Amino acid sequence: MIQFQQVSKRYPGGFDALKNLSFEIQTGELLFLAGHSGAGKSTILKLIAGIERPTGGAVLVNGQNVGSMRRSSIPFIRRNIGLIFQDHKILFDRSVYDNVRLPLDILGFDGQEARRRVLAALDKVGLSGKEKLNPVTLSGGEQQRLCIARAVVHRPAILLADEPTANLDRDYANDILELFRSFHQVGVTLVISAHDESLMADYGRRILRLKNGQFTA
Amino acid sequence: MKNWFRQHWLAFKRTLGGMLRQPLTSLLNLLVIAVAAAFPLALWLVISSLSGVAGRMPVESQITVFLRSSATEGEIKALRELDGKDARIARHRFVSRDEALKEMQQSTGMGDLLAGLPDNPLPDAIIFTAKSNQAETLETLQKELAVKAGVDEAQLDSAWARRLERLLALGRAVFDAIAVLLALALVLITGNTIRMQILTRQDEIEVSKLIGASDAFIRRPFIHFAIAQGLGGGLLACGIVALALWRLNPAVRELATAYGQQFALTTPGLVSIALVCAATTLLCLFGAWLAVWQHLRKLL
Ligand SMILES: Nc1ncnc2c1ncn2[C@@H]1O[C@H](COP(=O)(O)OP(=O)(O)OP(=O)(O)O)[C@@H](O)[C@H]1O
Ligand SMILES: [Mg+2]
Repeated sequence: MIQFQQVSKRYPGGFDALKNLSFEIQTGELLFLAGHSGAGKSTILKLIAGIERPTGGAVLVNGQNVGSMRRSSIPFIRRNIGLIFQDHKILFDRSVYDNVRLPLDILGFDGQEARRRVLAALDKVGLSGKEKLNPVTLSGGEQQRLCIARAVVHRPAILLADEPTANLDRDYANDILELFRSFHQVGVTLVISAHDESLMADYGRRILRLKNGQFTA
Repeated sequence: MKNWFRQHWLAFKRTLGGMLRQPLTSLLNLLVIAVAAAFPLALWLVISSLSGVAGRMPVESQITVFLRSSATEGEIKALRELDGKDARIARHRFVSRDEALKEMQQSTGMGDLLAGLPDNPLPDAIIFTAKSNQAETLETLQKELAVKAGVDEAQLDSAWARRLERLLALGRAVFDAIAVLLALALVLITGNTIRMQILTRQDEIEVSKLIGASDAFIRRPFIHFAIAQGLGGGLLACGIVALALWRLNPAVRELATAYGQQFALTTPGLVSIALVCAATTLLCLFGAWLAVWQHLRKLL
């Protein structure tokens, strides 16, 4: 489903974030990306979603080369992907409900169906009853759940989560990972990044370990 | 297709809601656009009204010869017999200074002013009507008449019609320049307004792009805003101009009557309203499109 073929990424300024990476992620797989801060985890996720373009090699999603895709085609790739950003990117000028609704507006869902889906997504992540609140009033963990709700509300086939458990205590982090496991069980392909590898160990899934833009054994 | 209309309608309602939430800002924006559009519209209406007058002016060519007060009977007689001798002249009419005064008192309503004068300031005059209405022939004739004995001044009556024609040509050139400048101004004004809106909604735009919004989706609310502004501004411009002309026309009519003309400035009709609104809307659209394009091209 997702293929990296000798992918390199050099950021403007000359820093090599990824060096000649090749790997493949199967449909329905749950994959962890581990590595120190600055190892290149976010960069990999951004390449998959077409947020950055590789400076070498090819990134294929569903057989399409995202890296060399026309700018106007990229939105259609992204609609198939749910993104959970490391910096959350919550909009604080609107309610929890409207934040989660945004992807459905983009896809052109009509009122009733959109409402049903937003409430279902909020229920799934345990934020029922908080839809009218402004996200500022949510705790850090609740904001993380809001991001997850927004990422899954349009039922994407791929879910990319960038450090979804950062700054959460262990129990809360496990709750979140359980949530991801439930998405995995219904067939969603998941890529989850984290710098704390101990959490992943419990799940016995494939882990890609990064160091300075390269895989370690 | 139905979905597309629905999306547009929803976005449009949101845009109008946004404008109503900031009534003062929206109104000021509309006024700026309206004033920018009102200028060329007003100028154009004045020009086309005056063109109408110029077209209605008598093409028949008359030369008015004003006589010196010292002119002798013999000199006057010689002049009055010219239409028999000069083949270029069809006929003449002698207007004595008393008749001239009476005519003027009646036609201009300046009776009181003229009655207040101790002496009749007007000279005797002979109005010659030429057979030809060719400018060159008339001008030579005028020059010849001007130097005849007893003649103070010879005026070609179609001269001011030609002057008006030239003035109108100048007016049209000024209109072209103003129209181009103000069109540019409209694009820049809307572009800037939209740019400010984009800045306040930067986060929303960024997130929307990141989760799969197309450029068209991002552009949509701004396009709607531009259409609303362009249409509103255009209508307001027509309103302003119509109001100004309505206030101005009685005075213009009076002035025209003083010159013996039937004349009023034409108020904007349906066609010109439609044209103005189409122009402002297109220009605002263009400005908005540019501003959004400028912002989006930086995002992947
Ligand atoms: N837009 C950018 N411009 C220049 N350099 C960048 C840019 N984005 C990332 N980098 C650099 O690329 C390297 C990898 O960044 P990346 O965000 O992928 O790391 P990461 O593994 O996600 O780290 P963290 O755990 O801190 O999020 C870093 O050294 C970073 O400084
Ligand atoms: Mg990162």
